[in-house]
Amino acid sequence: MILEFLINAVGLGALYALLTIGVALLFGVLGLMNFAYGELILAGAFAMYLFRDQPWPFALLMAIVFAVVVALVSERLAFHPLRNADPVTLMIASFAVSLALQSLARMTVLPRTRGVPPERFLSHRVSILGADVSVLDLVTLVLCGLMLLVVAWLMGRTSLGIQLRAAAEDFRMASSLGVKANLVIPAAFVIVGVLSAIGGAVLVARQGSVGADMGLQPMLIGVVGAVLGGMSSLKGAALGGFLLGAATALLESLLPTDLIAFRDAFLFSALIAVLVVRPQGLLSGAKVRVS
Amino acid sequence: MKNLNRLLAAVQTPAILVGLVLLAALVGVTGDVTTARVATLALVSVVFVVGLSVFSGNSGVMSFGHVMFMAAGAYTTAYLTIPVPLKKTLFSDLPGWLSWLAEVHSSFPVALLAGGLVAAVVGLVTAPVVARLSGLQSGIATLAMLLITYNVLNSWTEVTRGSSSMIGIPRGTTTWWAFGVAAAAVVVAWLYRCSRSGLQLRASREDFWAAQASGIAVGRHRATAWVLSALVCGLAGALYAGYLTSFNVNGFFLTATFSFVVMIVLGGYLSLSGAVVGALAVSALQEVLRRFQDGQFTGGNELPAGVADLIVAAVLLVVLVKAPYGLMGVRELRLPRLTRRGRGDAERSADATAKEPVSVA
Repeated sequence: MILEFLINAVGLGALYALLTIGVALLFGVLGLMNFAYGELILAGAFAMYLFRDQPWPFALLMAIVFAVVVALVSERLAFHPLRNADPVTLMIASFAVSLALQSLARMTVLPRTRGVPPERFLSHRVSILGADVSVLDLVTLVLCGLMLLVVAWLMGRTSLGIQLRAAAEDFRMASSLGVKANLVIPAAFVIVGVLSAIGGAVLVARQGSVGADMGLQPMLIGVVGAVLGGMSSLKGAALGGFLLGAATALLESLLPTDLIAFRDAFLFSALIAVLVVRPQGLLSGAKVRVS
Repeated sequence: MKNLNRLLAAVQTPAILVGLVLLAALVGVTGDVTTARVATLALVSVVFVVGLSVFSGNSGVMSFGHVMFMAAGAYTTAYLTIPVPLKKTLFSDLPGWLSWLAEVHSSFPVALLAGGLVAAVVGLVTAPVVARLSGLQSGIATLAMLLITYNVLNSWTEVTRGSSSMIGIPRGTTTWWAFGVAAAAVVVAWLYRCSRSGLQLRASREDFWAAQASGIAVGRHRATAWVLSALVCGLAGALYAGYLTSFNVNGFFLTATFSFVVMIVLGGYLSLSGAVVGALAVSALQEVLRRFQDGQFTGGNELPAGVADLIVAAVLLVVLVKAPYGLMGVRELRLPRLTRRGRGDAERSADATAKEPVSVA
């Protein structure tokens, strides 16, 4: 019982951490609070729907391709010309990108919500140490945990990661020390594309459907997690996302049923409180880079 | 003569703007049913965007949450004007402490005022947050307020009917009512802009720290502007409910927010003229696009739903890239012949220095 809950909570935490990093990375490097993030997730989820008859790993690969392509195209068309704009302008622009991608999806491929039949192997249940766990929860946990490890390795051990972190710390200083904007910014978008594709694939498996507006909820989760954890540091953001996911799992099993509908209201009130009291985030000691 | 000129210079911008609004109202009154509907809703948008501009235009802080004030105004109007017998069937499960909601009733003008006041109270409650935050944080916080409002309206089914539509509101708003409120909103916004508080707030928009250092209580003025703009946006919500006679909670969410943000950004969010011009222009654009999407220009070939949204989003992106301060920048509409040489040059250079605000934080 406890182990089941733990695997569920940790899995949700890992998923939320993944979503949060996607928001925090672009915010750190570009100052972009990316509301089009949900539509990247949508692109990945749509690939899962399109290739639902193919083997799951292949569909996952295609999801990554779709999301990365959409991320790079949106960077090229919308955010590249706005590179020196202030954060609020960028935020409005990402609103526009989000709406544009959503209406594109609605016009062409997703006029209404589509069901995605669950993968057979995901709905199995296995018993580990006496606990009855669904494979879906395990896959969520393993996939998201693995991605987090990869991101941690990429950011910590590779030259690209160091450049990205330097750019997130102080973009102008980094670029005067030879970090190329035309390398790190698209690289950040590629990473965000991969992260959102994995997030999208997991979300599709959990919800069993794909709709044009499915990106909103995960995008908001990413934003809340990033603000809670402190937007300038990826570690803080990941931890914020993880705690948010674990807290959500906890709230869902603890809140009385007639209050569960108001979960979001509690969550966003907490967000406002954090913004007012500790704008640098709950977990970050650093100064936050705002406008 | 000199005094007369000065008076003219002071009132010309609001006069021109009221004239523009009057033009829209006349188009609505003389046109057919569809035109009247478009024109009236455009006037409601003018009220809303002018309200938004009272806060955003003067403080330079963008708000994504103002639609919640519109919702407050609309729901208040619904509670006050839906006939009592109908209301008793619509809200049969009201919790005890709110049962008086089913009994109250008033005429539309009273409901309009009440809608504005309720929104102002919501503004008063949220003002401390806005007073403390700047830039992006304020953007996120105001968006969070909208999400909270939406969540509560959507989930508190016994009181707000949740995701079912609010129906049976008597048609109170006419095109002339909408015009009257829009004109009043323009005048109030202009008066605030020229007031001591408005001037100090605009100073803080140009340079936050310099304004602080000069002893301006930026937070207090932001809060003042926030409450005033909440009041105006509440009026817009009341007009909206009184015109459509039914509405749904989804009308007060991100789609509406986005469409108003397009209006204010396209017009230029630092100027009151920009707000009015943007609201009217985007309303017209949306109607043209709607007809385009329905196939009225392409010989009956319907285009897939979403084309209009896509084009609006593309227009917004182009405006953000090419003219981040919109059509008007920081300028206001003026009569051309009043800018005589001496005065005109001084003003023009003042405009030039103010054209690129140092920061919008």
